[in-house]
Amino acid sequence: MDRIKRDNFLENIIYFMVVLSVTLFILYPFLAVFREAFFKDGSFNFEGFSVFFARDSKLIKNSLMTGVYTVVLTSILSISIAVYVYFKGKKVEKIVFAFLMLTMISPPFVTSLSYIEMFGKRGFITHDIFGLTLNTYGMVGIILMQSIGSVSLNTILILSGLRRIDPNIILSAKDLGASTGEIIWSILIPILKKTIAVSAVLTFVRSLSDFSTPAIIGGSFSTLATEAYLNMIAYGNLNYASVINVVLFVPAFIAYLFYRKSIKEELDSTGEAHMEVELGDKGILFNIITFISIFTLFWIGIQYGGILFSAFSRKQAGVPYFTVSNFIEAKPYLSQTLIRSLIYSFFSAGVGSVIGLLIGHFLVIRKKKLMGAVDFVSMMPYIIPGSFFGIGYILAFRSEPIHLTGTAAIVVLNMLFRQLPFSSKLGVEITSAIPKSETSAIRDLGGTGFNIFLDSVFPNAKDNLAMAFANSFSQSMTTIGSIIFLVYPSQKVLTLVMFDAIQSGKYNVGSALAIVIILITASMNLLVRFLLKRRRV
Amino acid sequence: MMIFERREEMKRILAFLLALVMIFSITACTGKEKEEAALEVTEVETEEATEEAKEEETPEPEKVDFTGRTMNVVATSDKYVTLFDKFTQETGAKVEFLSMSSGEVLSRVEAEGGTPMADLWFGGGLDAFMDAKAKGFLESFEVPEAADVPAEYKDPEGFWYSKGLTVVGFLLNDKVIAEKGFKAPETWADLADPIYKDEIIMSNPAISGTNYAAVKGIIDMMGEDAAWDYFAKLNDNIPYYGKRGKDPQEKTVAGEFAIGIIPVDKSAFDAAAENGLTVVYPTDGIPWVPEGVAVFKGSENADVAKEFVNFMLRPDNQQIVAELDGKDSAQLIKPGVEGLSLGLPQDKLVKQELATFGEQREAILNRWKELTGDK
Repeated sequence: MDRIKRDNFLENIIYFMVVLSVTLFILYPFLAVFREAFFKDGSFNFEGFSVFFARDSKLIKNSLMTGVYTVVLTSILSISIAVYVYFKGKKVEKIVFAFLMLTMISPPFVTSLSYIEMFGKRGFITHDIFGLTLNTYGMVGIILMQSIGSVSLNTILILSGLRRIDPNIILSAKDLGASTGEIIWSILIPILKKTIAVSAVLTFVRSLSDFSTPAIIGGSFSTLATEAYLNMIAYGNLNYASVINVVLFVPAFIAYLFYRKSIKEELDSTGEAHMEVELGDKGILFNIITFISIFTLFWIGIQYGGILFSAFSRKQAGVPYFTVSNFIEAKPYLSQTLIRSLIYSFFSAGVGSVIGLLIGHFLVIRKKKLMGAVDFVSMMPYIIPGSFFGIGYILAFRSEPIHLTGTAAIVVLNMLFRQLPFSSKLGVEITSAIPKSETSAIRDLGGTGFNIFLDSVFPNAKDNLAMAFANSFSQSMTTIGSIIFLVYPSQKVLTLVMFDAIQSGKYNVGSALAIVIILITASMNLLVRFLLKRRRV
Repeated sequence: MMIFERREEMKRILAFLLALVMIFSITACTGKEKEEAALEVTEVETEEATEEAKEEETPEPEKVDFTGRTMNVVATSDKYVTLFDKFTQETGAKVEFLSMSSGEVLSRVEAEGGTPMADLWFGGGLDAFMDAKAKGFLESFEVPEAADVPAEYKDPEGFWYSKGLTVVGFLLNDKVIAEKGFKAPETWADLADPIYKDEIIMSNPAISGTNYAAVKGIIDMMGEDAAWDYFAKLNDNIPYYGKRGKDPQEKTVAGEFAIGIIPVDKSAFDAAAENGLTVVYPTDGIPWVPEGVAVFKGSENADVAKEFVNFMLRPDNQQIVAELDGKDSAQLIKPGVEGLSLGLPQDKLVKQELATFGEQREAILNRWKELTGDK
């Protein structure tokens, strides 16, 4: 009896802490932004919004258009690559995923920089090779770069959707004489509709909240996220920055509601064992898909090749030469920040993935009352822009009762809760996949909720937990959007010094730092994969 | 059997994870304490080191010892490491710094309700410092080394000091100029010529202190009305304004623009040499702005920061600043210190009204925003 009491008490404390932490570190800062936007000196004030709609309402159009086009382009690219990989089998998959991995684990703005060097007005490829002088600033550039950034995640989502399709459907369609094009167009894509919709929403939301790409290659084209950032950084206008963030929140929130509805249905469908599907005749559609896939991968290759090139080269009178001096110059930047960045990321990823799993446990298995709300709130950081989350933290924690600005804690907490959506989504997925019989068996044997977590949830979750950890770690290592508002001199991290180096015109050193960051995140991801693989054998 | 094994393994992993979490919560949340602890350890070593040093050279009379203390700095760039290291050597104080543009520093401190975000604020356009003084974010103090600094380079009440001047000029991409068949511009007036349409870039003056100095300098140079007429023409030639201070230099280097409006220092000449560009001091007038240095009011290590200001103004250290900043002699504020020879014609510096630099900032930026919209 004592054991049960103790376990229940412990479990309740943990439950309470999960609810409290999500409330305090997501909901509270979130509401603080609304308070700042709507209230001035204690009374309701709509002034900021009237200024916005009179002066800056076209930003809404800009943001929405960018978002929609990015979604369309990303979807075309990622569906193509996913279908291509699906039919090409394991070997191709490995190569393709290595490429895609790059875009997922590298800092956000480096591609925009190499984009200018490659495709700008006097870009290496457009101008020097093809003799074109294109003005690639503006919406087109933003859409291209955001698509490159989103294509990996979407491809992975769509491919896992494809894997859930019963291969027999395809085989029997083939037996009945359907061409490859027909199989793709009339069978695969309709079945994938939901998955595509989900990934489209994620892309849309990411595009809305991205401020750095438009800031670097937007030219005179500005978006809501960029203006929110500028109002904070350049004009110190917290009220107006909050107003823009609130406006930005509306479409993101609508998309999110749609996403929640779709993801539920998505989760209900269970996976099938994958079987390699051989295609005989390729057909026109498949050739187009192949072309798009190879073109996209080639492009990603060029962009990252550009970063590699600038990391290992310098110029003399416009002529580049090979050198490692960029890495030598990068050393002082690294010595101050490397260890700190690793610790911050390790901690936020470790705790974050455990909290994510706990959310799954309390929501799906223990069916606690408040958990529906907690789950909903825990997804918020995904849809609100980094500046929103950063400003929210300043507003919420700049004074008593919880005064955290200037501490390491606020930076780590911000990273942790910003990455929580992925971990909590995985946590819910993991716990949903646990057979009811297993948890009820533990209960029948007198086990407590605590036992269920330790003996069922946790062992079932190990692989995914490691995935959640690797993902959060990479995101924390590369994040800049929200912590840029929170860091004090003694909390400087690696992405910030890279941002600095690039800001002060040291492209080459910045590229060298980007390579270091990519190497760290890549090793962490490979290590996790390796450990998982070895255990399975 | 299998299940039993898995469970054992799982428990081990869980224990490991929990241990990790605990370790990191301790390291992350009590980071400060840890740092202090680490400092205590190094304290002994540094004390020994300084004692040795004392034996070798005759110590200066006002020698201070800040061993075990950390001075936090927001600086415009990371290039001052050498200077900070020297300070650490002399006083024992550790230096942690973060690069931020001056406008950003002002915004952050304001957003956090005046909480000092560091001890020392090192570099950046004076306008932000003047603004910060008016808002009560700075501390007033005096240092002996500032005695011979001319009055225009320090606040009469001691709220800010200057570390040197930023001067504004052009960076030309020779390749683009040749390709377009342009005549290389030599004056501000030249830039208003419609042939340069879409080939000029400058940064948003709300963000870039340098570009604010350009705007203010041109107003002082041409007079209010003529200047705004001029800006209207210049604006037609500029497709958009950089959202980051270094945009003009980066994008001119990349060949995106023929002409960039930049702060001229040695790094600009270096970039020019690396990439085949030309640096131009405009012959009709060179706008300039003193770079500020100040101590945040109520900061933890204000005493260390004040000592640093004194240290920084010492002639030998001004020499280092001049080298790090790549400044011409004409950009230095301390009499008797020699800078580099970049060919800056001192007589071409605009006669600027420094007193109105800060107080007119908001009005100028508002009018600027009206003129340029949000491009």
